[in-house]
Amino acid sequence: MPDRRGGRRSAILGAALALLALPPAARAETLLRARLNADILSTNPGVRRDENTDMVLQHVVEGLVAYREDTSVGPLLAERWETSPDGRTYTFHLRPGVSFHNGAPLTSAEVVWSLRRYLDPKTHWRCGRELSGGGYARVVGVEAVDTQTVRVVLDKPFAGFLATLARVDCGGTAILHPSSVGPDGAWRAPVGTGPFRIAGWKHNQYLDLVRFAGYRALPGPRDGHTGGKAARVDRLRFLVIPDPVAAEAALLRGDLDVLDNVTPIDARQLRKRRDLRLDVRAGFDVFAILFETRDPLLRDPRLRQAIALTLDVPGLTRAVTAGMGRPNRSVVPVSSPFHDAAQAQVPPPNLAEARRLAQAAGYRGQPITLITNHRYPAMFDGAVLVQAMAMQAGITIRLETLDWAAELDRYNTGRYQAMSFTYSARMDPSLGYDALTGDKAADPRKVWDDPQARALLARSRATADPAERQAAFDQLHALFLRDVPAIVVFNPPRIAAVAANVTGYQGWAAGPQRLWGVGLR
Amino acid sequence: MRRLSLSGWIGVALIGLLLATVLVSLAWTPFNPLAIDLDHTFAPPSARHWLGSDEFGRDVLSRAMAGARISVGIALATVAAAVSAGVVLGTAAGFLRGPVDRVLMTFNDALLAFPGMLLALGVIAVFGAGAGSMVGALAVAYLPSVVRVVRGAVLSIREREYIEASRVMGNSEAWSMWRHVAPNASPQIAVLAASLFGWVLLSESALSFLGVGVPAPAPSWGNMLASARPYLDTAAWLAIAPGACIVATLLGANLLSDALRDRFDPRGAP
Amino acid sequence: MSARPGVVGYVAKRVAGALPTLLIVAVLVFGLIRMIPGDPAQVMLGDAGDPQAVAALRTEMGLDRPLPLQFAAWLGHALRGDLGVSIATGEPVLPLILQRFQVTASIVVSAIALATLIAVVGGLLAAWRHRRGLDQAVVGVATLAMAVPSFWLGLMLLLVFGVKLQWLPVVGYVPLTEHLGAGLAYLVLPVATLVIVESGVLIRMMRTSALDVLRLEYVTHARAKGLSEARVLLRHVLPNAFAPTLTLVGLALGHLLGGAAVIETVFTLPGLGRLVVDSILARDYPVVQGCLLFAALAYVLVNLAVDLCYPLLDPRVTVEG
Repeated sequence: MPDRRGGRRSAILGAALALLALPPAARAETLLRARLNADILSTNPGVRRDENTDMVLQHVVEGLVAYREDTSVGPLLAERWETSPDGRTYTFHLRPGVSFHNGAPLTSAEVVWSLRRYLDPKTHWRCGRELSGGGYARVVGVEAVDTQTVRVVLDKPFAGFLATLARVDCGGTAILHPSSVGPDGAWRAPVGTGPFRIAGWKHNQYLDLVRFAGYRALPGPRDGHTGGKAARVDRLRFLVIPDPVAAEAALLRGDLDVLDNVTPIDARQLRKRRDLRLDVRAGFDVFAILFETRDPLLRDPRLRQAIALTLDVPGLTRAVTAGMGRPNRSVVPVSSPFHDAAQAQVPPPNLAEARRLAQAAGYRGQPITLITNHRYPAMFDGAVLVQAMAMQAGITIRLETLDWAAELDRYNTGRYQAMSFTYSARMDPSLGYDALTGDKAADPRKVWDDPQARALLARSRATADPAERQAAFDQLHALFLRDVPAIVVFNPPRIAAVAANVTGYQGWAAGPQRLWGVGLR
Repeated sequence: MRRLSLSGWIGVALIGLLLATVLVSLAWTPFNPLAIDLDHTFAPPSARHWLGSDEFGRDVLSRAMAGARISVGIALATVAAAVSAGVVLGTAAGFLRGPVDRVLMTFNDALLAFPGMLLALGVIAVFGAGAGSMVGALAVAYLPSVVRVVRGAVLSIREREYIEASRVMGNSEAWSMWRHVAPNASPQIAVLAASLFGWVLLSESALSFLGVGVPAPAPSWGNMLASARPYLDTAAWLAIAPGACIVATLLGANLLSDALRDRFDPRGAP
Repeated sequence: MSARPGVVGYVAKRVAGALPTLLIVAVLVFGLIRMIPGDPAQVMLGDAGDPQAVAALRTEMGLDRPLPLQFAAWLGHALRGDLGVSIATGEPVLPLILQRFQVTASIVVSAIALATLIAVVGGLLAAWRHRRGLDQAVVGVATLAMAVPSFWLGLMLLLVFGVKLQWLPVVGYVPLTEHLGAGLAYLVLPVATLVIVESGVLIRMMRTSALDVLRLEYVTHARAKGLSEARVLLRHVLPNAFAPTLTLVGLALGHLLGGAAVIETVFTLPGLGRLVVDSILARDYPVVQGCLLFAALAYVLVNLAVDLCYPLLDPRVTVEG
């Protein structure tokens, strides 16, 4: 076959060229290749961002605090901190010996500069609103106490302050060297303190990170985004491969070493391969069927309860996630430390009761439109199954498939009857409930407009005491099952497939791939 | 008029089989094509499920039959819409000429210069996925080629003596148009319609492949293929059935359009 | 084609004549993409975007200004060759389009060239052996090729040659300018797929028009003069029968150069078609507008080039100034 000969010849030629290019004594550079399903939006942490951007930049920059493996907040660039008795003042002590990618040492000056930059409305920081007038608490002061100490003052106590700083979508509130921006304040490139630095970005093709030789990891084992973050390869390449089938093919052929966000469908097949290893975790995403509770038909909670009662939750979860997801009727993810016995119960389907409730609600077979999309197979398959299951109790559901942007528009404006949706991972249950709960008039994307729920949510947020918070979450859950503003069905699994010669890969229920500590044999 | 060739007969047989399937599916399918059976997913072809079952335990044969109805329905409706609109516009442009022609053809050229698939993608994104918007989108995408062909046919026929004679005899323009041009252009339109049917079917499956197809859970061959894609390795039957249906239908449509062309215009006959 | 000024004048007139077409395309694209529900600010913020954040981002992107103003501003810049910057990535649109166009063009041009070659050889041979085995075989294969969906064929080739046999890379892209051998390896499957699906209709067109020409008297004449069959086919039949095929080649080239979205999706090539589809899904308005204007321009120019080729084939056709 001429093709085959050509391919081989080119491979040999390529290898020869590569040999010529290297100085004879040089050790071969180690290269780890991972996939992005879409290019990152920018290199500006917490500003122009999406999930891919957050994930990549977590390898490059670090904040004062970060999430640990169990989703609690732990130290990262701050070695320790104190909170004033009134809960308004936080004093951070920086870890000594840390330096930026440009060699400059980390001091309080850069921390103050970074925090002030984020709080400047002109920066458009993702979490600027949370820490300004309209948010949970306003930062009224950021100042350096000495070269290694920084003090932040809030206008009122806010138990979730550190968790907000740690949030991945806030860019981990990364501490940056001021040379990250130009003299005009325009973004240039991140000069951070992470284990890798950006070496090249070919838009829509690949992004290269290289090992930062001067990195000082927080000692200890790998722990969320905090400890043990040493680079084990010289170069980390994120290849932009939008098509999942193509990405899988690349992995099988050896063009990729790590493939994160494998769908359960694909995982089913990859599981059989000897040259791969699968890493499956119960994720923090929340798959749910949302209802518009102001809809004339769905306003009656009995109809919503009826639909919930038609669902074979374990069966649906098994079919959509190839048996790898965890059935869960609670907003609190199964992997969360707050997911206790009260949250773990999954009521079985009851078609007779569903019929009775629907009837009592005055339902006479009117079609209910359920919006879904083609971009995310789980949302699509989930909608198909909900439609088929509701049909068994005489409830007619019509599916409307939109593209993702159009579905988001409906979500944001509340113009729908029902919607198949997945909330992205929120580490703290307060944030999870906050995504659902609120005033529909002010923010139409909130599905649960209930005063009691809002009061309970506020209580969960006002305290840092785990037992008090657990009680609030348990009450919220009971209320949620009774009112059914949405039906939470499962937490999609987080699955990564890694080549057999990859060492040290460790998936994390709460977040996407972390490629520090990962090497090649 | 010539007798049908062997390939013409194959075309007739394939299209006949398709229409028969559509008719049968209206009254009967082995299973409800929408009914899920989570205990019997990915069943390979067997006596119970002749073409196997899919990822939700739905019967592939039943879905392929129901899919024929939907895919063929969309293709027929699209062809009807594009051809009728195209005949009106093309005849008007070709017969009236002058400014009407110029304006129509400028618009037509603009639409022609627009990649058809992307136009359809945009239209569907605006109006939401559904059989109706699918038909509208594809009809708009294929309209310019119909207008062009009809206008060309009208222009050539218009010059013939008998139209001139008809006009000399005092018949009005509109009457001449109907009386002579429409019937004389109809063979070309029939041939075009047959090929159009194939293209539309192909476009429908391609749009489904790009993620904007017939809305679920209703099956179409395109969305069956698209959802079979992840299982190519382990459950190839899911992709074979709709793929074979598309190929057979397109083959039938092309052979039939060849046969039609031969009948009306024996010049290019094999 | 006798006088050069005639040709130059003709080209100028055709390009000027295409301007209304391009303007209509621009208006259509602008109107259509803005009618699609959802906007880039929402896509960018996802499920975490509260109304204030979405509104702020919208203002930052300039999407809160009246539509006619936005269009006028865009058109004014476009006329000066500035297609703006991508909302999603901040990249300038024109260089982005040109970079993606190289990928699409290298695949499409080589595939259409190969398909044309196959069509000429297959069509001539089939016409020459009219109603014999070879003819029937060629027509059968061509008809079958027309019936195969391109993405289906592409997936099958990918499965067989990429995944099962591992002869060719299945994903990624290396520009030919960077590494010739590796670059070619990435092009084999997409080009093969396009050649197969595009050649069917070309073969049949070539065969039909070759049959027409073979019936003409001067061919009989040429044969009577004792010219070899090969000479008759190449010197007399081919030039006279090629024009309709060329028209189809022009149409295919014109449309595919604007982006072969399906092929690019199957083989994950960073081409123009995938750029458009991705940008529509992300509501990246400037990129969609720029790409489709570019696609329309490519279509107009290719067809102009084809029209200019006719007189070369057939001296009876002249280009009118």
